[in-house]
Amino acid sequence: MRNKAMLIVAAFVIAAASLPLFAGPYFLSVFNTIFVYMSLALTWDIMLRTGQLSYGTAGLFGLGAYASALLVAKAGLNPLVSIAAGGAFAGLLAFFLGFGVLRLRKIYFSITTLALTTVFSVIIRNLPRLTGGASGTVLPRALFNGDPGKNYWMIYCLALAVIAISVWLSKSKTHYAINAIRNDEITARSSGIDVFKYLLFIFVLTSTIQGVIGAFYAQQYAFVQPEATFSMNFLLLPLAMALVGGVYSTIGPVVGAVLLGLVSEYLKLIMPYGHLIVYGIIIVLVVLFMPQGITRAFAKLFTRKMQVGGVDSASLRD
Amino acid sequence: MPVLETRGLEKRFGGLLAVRDLSFSASRGEILGIIGPNGAGKTTVINLVAGIFPETSGQIYFKGQEINKLSTHERNHLGIARTFQSVRPLDHFTALENVMIGALFGQGMHLAEAREYAYEICDLIGLKNVDRSIDNLTVLDLKKIEIGRALASKPDLLFLDELMAGLNADETAEMIEVVRELQRRQLTIIVVEHIMAVVRELTQRCIVLDGGAIIAEGSYEEVAKQERVIEAYLGKEE
Amino acid sequence: MLAAASKKQYLFIALLVIAAIVIGFWEPHALIYGIQRGSLYAVIALPLALILGILGVLNLAHGEFLTVGMYATFVLFSRFGVDPMLSTVPVTLLLAVVGVAVYLLTIKHVLKAGHLSQLLITFGISLVISELIKSIYTTQPRGVFTTYSYSSTTLAGIRFGTYEFLYLLIAVAVLVGLQLFLKKTRLGQATFAVGQNPRGASIVGINVSFVYLFVFGLSIAIVGLASVFMVPRVSIFPGAGTPYTMKSFALTAMAGLGNLNGILLAGIALGIFEAVVNAIPGGSGWSDVVFFGVLILVIMTRAIREGRR
Repeated sequence: MRNKAMLIVAAFVIAAASLPLFAGPYFLSVFNTIFVYMSLALTWDIMLRTGQLSYGTAGLFGLGAYASALLVAKAGLNPLVSIAAGGAFAGLLAFFLGFGVLRLRKIYFSITTLALTTVFSVIIRNLPRLTGGASGTVLPRALFNGDPGKNYWMIYCLALAVIAISVWLSKSKTHYAINAIRNDEITARSSGIDVFKYLLFIFVLTSTIQGVIGAFYAQQYAFVQPEATFSMNFLLLPLAMALVGGVYSTIGPVVGAVLLGLVSEYLKLIMPYGHLIVYGIIIVLVVLFMPQGITRAFAKLFTRKMQVGGVDSASLRD
Repeated sequence: MPVLETRGLEKRFGGLLAVRDLSFSASRGEILGIIGPNGAGKTTVINLVAGIFPETSGQIYFKGQEINKLSTHERNHLGIARTFQSVRPLDHFTALENVMIGALFGQGMHLAEAREYAYEICDLIGLKNVDRSIDNLTVLDLKKIEIGRALASKPDLLFLDELMAGLNADETAEMIEVVRELQRRQLTIIVVEHIMAVVRELTQRCIVLDGGAIIAEGSYEEVAKQERVIEAYLGKEE
Repeated sequence: MLAAASKKQYLFIALLVIAAIVIGFWEPHALIYGIQRGSLYAVIALPLALILGILGVLNLAHGEFLTVGMYATFVLFSRFGVDPMLSTVPVTLLLAVVGVAVYLLTIKHVLKAGHLSQLLITFGISLVISELIKSIYTTQPRGVFTTYSYSSTTLAGIRFGTYEFLYLLIAVAVLVGLQLFLKKTRLGQATFAVGQNPRGASIVGINVSFVYLFVFGLSIAIVGLASVFMVPRVSIFPGAGTPYTMKSFALTAMAGLGNLNGILLAGIALGIFEAVVNAIPGGSGWSDVVFFGVLILVIMTRAIREGRR
């Protein structure tokens, strides 16, 4: 059973890796986008595993993008190095912000992360000399000169790394700590868990990844602009993907990203205005009728008769 | 040297003085009872010592060290553990994993080590079938998980908050045995309890709280006779 | 729910008055404009605070309901030639119905589900509304022009618009109305009780679920009322109402939950502050930071004062 699962996973990994060998640029760009959102969906979910709902995904994504783009445009840094730098910048900022925002809980944490996203974009818009202001900054060259295959491999590797991090976390001691914190913070503290330390670790980790993905995105399109780079889509789509697939898991956001990524490509074609409405409806319906997500709903369907060993950790209850 | 000592401990919630001028101590291997009517401030005392919220004034010493400034998890690392009045198991975990939490973070063990240790603890307190989910567990088992998690952090001082509430006579007897076994292991145990039979059975010494202050202290038999204590429980007769 | 004005609040009023006088001499337009805008912010924030206070739900779709009201007013104007002022009653009623429908379909089912579900579902609703509007009316900005909304007068040599003083009038009316409702009517007292302790309220026989329904409908109706009066002065587009969600939360956080009077004060204070920032040369781009900066600052201060360990 386990071997079979490993084989299936390996087949997927290899198939996805060899996509550029036979797929055309349109198809590659669709999957490129899916991996961008998949990585963000995983980071959003990892933060949610601590019980903190972040609305700041787009903000740290945008900061990483700007840091990387400006380092290339103003300091002539190597684009690949700048992607790492973008992540480091987002992570460092998250570290300092963490001392403030991680004191907050529930709606106060969520709304503050949302407010921070706006503050970041307003600040960037108001520093035209450095950032190009509202019209943004165009980079002289796109990453890998815009080679769709190489860009695909790059984001594919990044997404794999994020998946690996998510899996590793779910098998680590940290998993126990953050699950306990989400479940009941007072019990967690009383059991010796340094709540702030774990929250800070997860916040910095997820922010760094968001920064890296943002930096890659900026380098790939050789362009940053406040409205596009801090677009709410970078919060909204990952959030919907994780929800649909099933929160508090690695497989959920991955499946959700592929599913919704493909659906939204189709919708974009048939609905030029307002195709995001589908995401809104999905979020509402999932919260109301399927808070455990599609992957767990399927798993339940097929294993109903079998004795399930693990704990069904699926609910948005808090 | 007492394991726990408080001096002039006081806690004010807005206009309400929940705990006033509280000085008491507990020594190694002792089972101390804290009793008193509803709203007397018993759980507040636990919360103060465990560091859930800061005291308004006064000092808390644990194994000779002042711990006022320490946070809850730091106090746990030093050796203070507790159970909760309303059982608070972590419901995404199995019974064993709940117990493991204490070993992982209270003692800083690795996963494999903590798993082993948690099995030992479950054995000690008679918790069986530990690898299943905690849904549909009996109250007794849930309470045992509470004790197990607290014990797994290897405390010197253990607070048991209303441990017997909701248990039937047989279960209570079983739980009393568990607590006795812990005492044999030189743990200092402070029980907050409503059921007087349990207090009489378990404790060597009691303090009686009313309105946040100590109104009597001594063995159960001694304090149970005192007029102030009876008044506190039954209300003053006019 | 209705904390009487505390000492702190009087101090705040005093400071506000002093600041207003100083600003009035230095930049009278900023003062006038600030009071006008601030009152509008307060009208919109009051219903958000009401829902948060009574239902315990932060409605992230708050601003989108405002957008719905604006489009409804716009449609009545452009299709049937109805003057916005005459739209007051139908749009307010329409929004009440929309609010009740949204409540029954969604909010009602997540009241006990915890804050995660509530945050997510209201976020989803906000998206559905704004995207629905986008798909019907596209992103093209619309407007409703009326001559009276640009009337102005000159006082002591200062020329200023008079229409937006209507906002102050409405703010005071809504605030007084809400206070009277909560204190003087049976339903209002029931609402107050539910806000304090829903379980206790249901034990004494209050129909808690009706109170929730009513409060949500009433709140969205107030949003509708605000939207009607905004229409003659703002450009209407699918995201027009969106910023008001955060602005409303900023005011609610500043006033403290349950302090309705404080929301008007906080609104006027922030309105003036914003107008002053706008009046500073080169400051106009930064005025957005005012609200969010204050919001973050207020939330942080509270968290630190609570002293988490």
